[in-house]
Amino acid sequence: MIAVQAKRSHTIERVAIWVLRAAAAFVIASIAALLLYLCYEGSKTFTADGLPVWQFLFTSDFDPTAKKGGAAIFIVGTIVVTLFALVIGGPFGIAVGAFLSEIAPPRMAAVLKPAIEVLVGIPSVVYGWLGLRLLVPFLREHTSSASGFGLAAAGIVLSIMILPTVISLSEDAFRSLPGALREGSMALGSTRWQTMVRVLLPSASSGLTVAIILGMARAIGETLAVQMVLGNATQFANGLFAPTAALTTEIVIDMPGAAQGSFLEHELFSMALFLLLMAMSLILLVRFVLRKRV
Amino acid sequence: MAVAVRTIPAEARIVADAGVRRRRFIDGLATVVLWGLGVSVIVMLACFVIYLFYLGSSAISWQFLTGSPQETTAGGGIGPEIYNSFYILVLTLIFTVPIALAAGIYLQEYARPGLFRSIVQFSAESLATVPSIVMGLFGLLVFVYYFHWGFSALGGAVTLTLLNLPALMRVTQEALSSVPDSLREASMGLGATRWQTIYRTVLPSAIGRLTTGVVLIAGRIFGETAALIFTAGLSVSANHPYELNPMRSAETLAIHLWYTHSESIVPDVDRIGNGSALVLLVMVLIFNISARVGGRALTKRFTGRSS
Repeated sequence: MIAVQAKRSHTIERVAIWVLRAAAAFVIASIAALLLYLCYEGSKTFTADGLPVWQFLFTSDFDPTAKKGGAAIFIVGTIVVTLFALVIGGPFGIAVGAFLSEIAPPRMAAVLKPAIEVLVGIPSVVYGWLGLRLLVPFLREHTSSASGFGLAAAGIVLSIMILPTVISLSEDAFRSLPGALREGSMALGSTRWQTMVRVLLPSASSGLTVAIILGMARAIGETLAVQMVLGNATQFANGLFAPTAALTTEIVIDMPGAAQGSFLEHELFSMALFLLLMAMSLILLVRFVLRKRV
Repeated sequence: MAVAVRTIPAEARIVADAGVRRRRFIDGLATVVLWGLGVSVIVMLACFVIYLFYLGSSAISWQFLTGSPQETTAGGGIGPEIYNSFYILVLTLIFTVPIALAAGIYLQEYARPGLFRSIVQFSAESLATVPSIVMGLFGLLVFVYYFHWGFSALGGAVTLTLLNLPALMRVTQEALSSVPDSLREASMGLGATRWQTIYRTVLPSAIGRLTTGVVLIAGRIFGETAALIFTAGLSVSANHPYELNPMRSAETLAIHLWYTHSESIVPDVDRIGNGSALVLLVMVLIFNISARVGGRALTKRFTGRSS
């Protein structure tokens, strides 16, 4: 009787292992399929349509009907909007992370943390809608911008959207530091601020770098919120308030009208591939930063 | 041993006092500023919530929440869109939860450090960084073009599964790692196999955290857009708006908000946008609150601990 039961448990055990392994293998298969498919589809611009890669990357002549596929405007747009968001959201997020780890009493944290989680949960379109109703009219009234749509609007919306990522990762970075660092610094007569700036900030630098990079990864791929306030003009932004376009916004606008197998469709898949490679290189960067620390 | 005690000259003391006072002032100022930044996050969220309620409350009516959307005339509702959002959410969770749980359990409880494990881990990390819109294009290639499903709720749900798998795996891993090893050792010491230990001891202890994580991710799935535009489509089912068939196109509420604003020609765009944004916000709040309350209740029920 016991032997039978033991045998049964043993069988279940083996089945369980294989089911779990299969699930893990599914994750590998998904990302592999995604990479292969996008590489294949995204490279057609360069193989089937014969557009040189350098033209895609460095020229701004975008006219799909004439098979001109310079994507520089969109690439630059994505990079500039992302940097804009990081310049505001990065320091702000790190400061709030430091506040949560070093200063905030439990009661404050008990309000602030759920608030941050709600900010994570608010859908991208709702951020876009808020940007449209609050920020764009404000920029139209108070800046040189004629319409209010543009780089600044998208950058500010994005900076709020990356805030939760940066805050919680930088809080973790500060929290993971040993208490001895703080005690040592305080015992030498430093104030809390001096401890934070001169001891904790340098010690947490790799964790904070990761926080910034992952915030960047979130910003690069953001689509609808950006599309709703960026202005979507196929031109380089000639000022902080000028409208421009980004990779994600161009894809979402042009894809519905792109016929299967057309130059435009290939071009948009190339942009998606470029976006994916940018995001994945950020992950490699994170790995590199974390490895250097150990 | 005698130590010569020297008195500090008066002028040096004044300098030192000034330095201390300056440092204390800067420290106090920094504390105030950091408090201000922390509070500003809460104030910002409060402003968003109040403003969305202010905009949306006049748009909300029973007719708006249950009515059908209009293509060209004013007065359209969002009933089918709300239905589709929940439909895709449920479908996505049916796929995501088992796979993510299994993969998470494998990584946390079974896998020994080695090549396979690092590849799985790296794949999950990479999958987590794939931008939503890129995942949408992948879904378009696979489900719409290759499988010829057209725009379908099923294609949308599978795309969202891939998008949310890594997050839920991480939730699983964190929940499992919070279970103390002494529980595992006690269970194995009584003769349980590894799977019995996981199924009867580890999972019940982790169920609270798991639930919180799943519900928070459900909130994110509810509001997802970019991955769905090219997979689930921009229109509600032509036959019957509340169809159960997963192979029909299924525009969700979040997509409807975007589509109405940027593509549609109805005259009351603002009303529909305001109302939809408010409904989305309220759903996020409901998901967040129930994640907390539900998680806490389950933890208490299964472990007797209060947190």
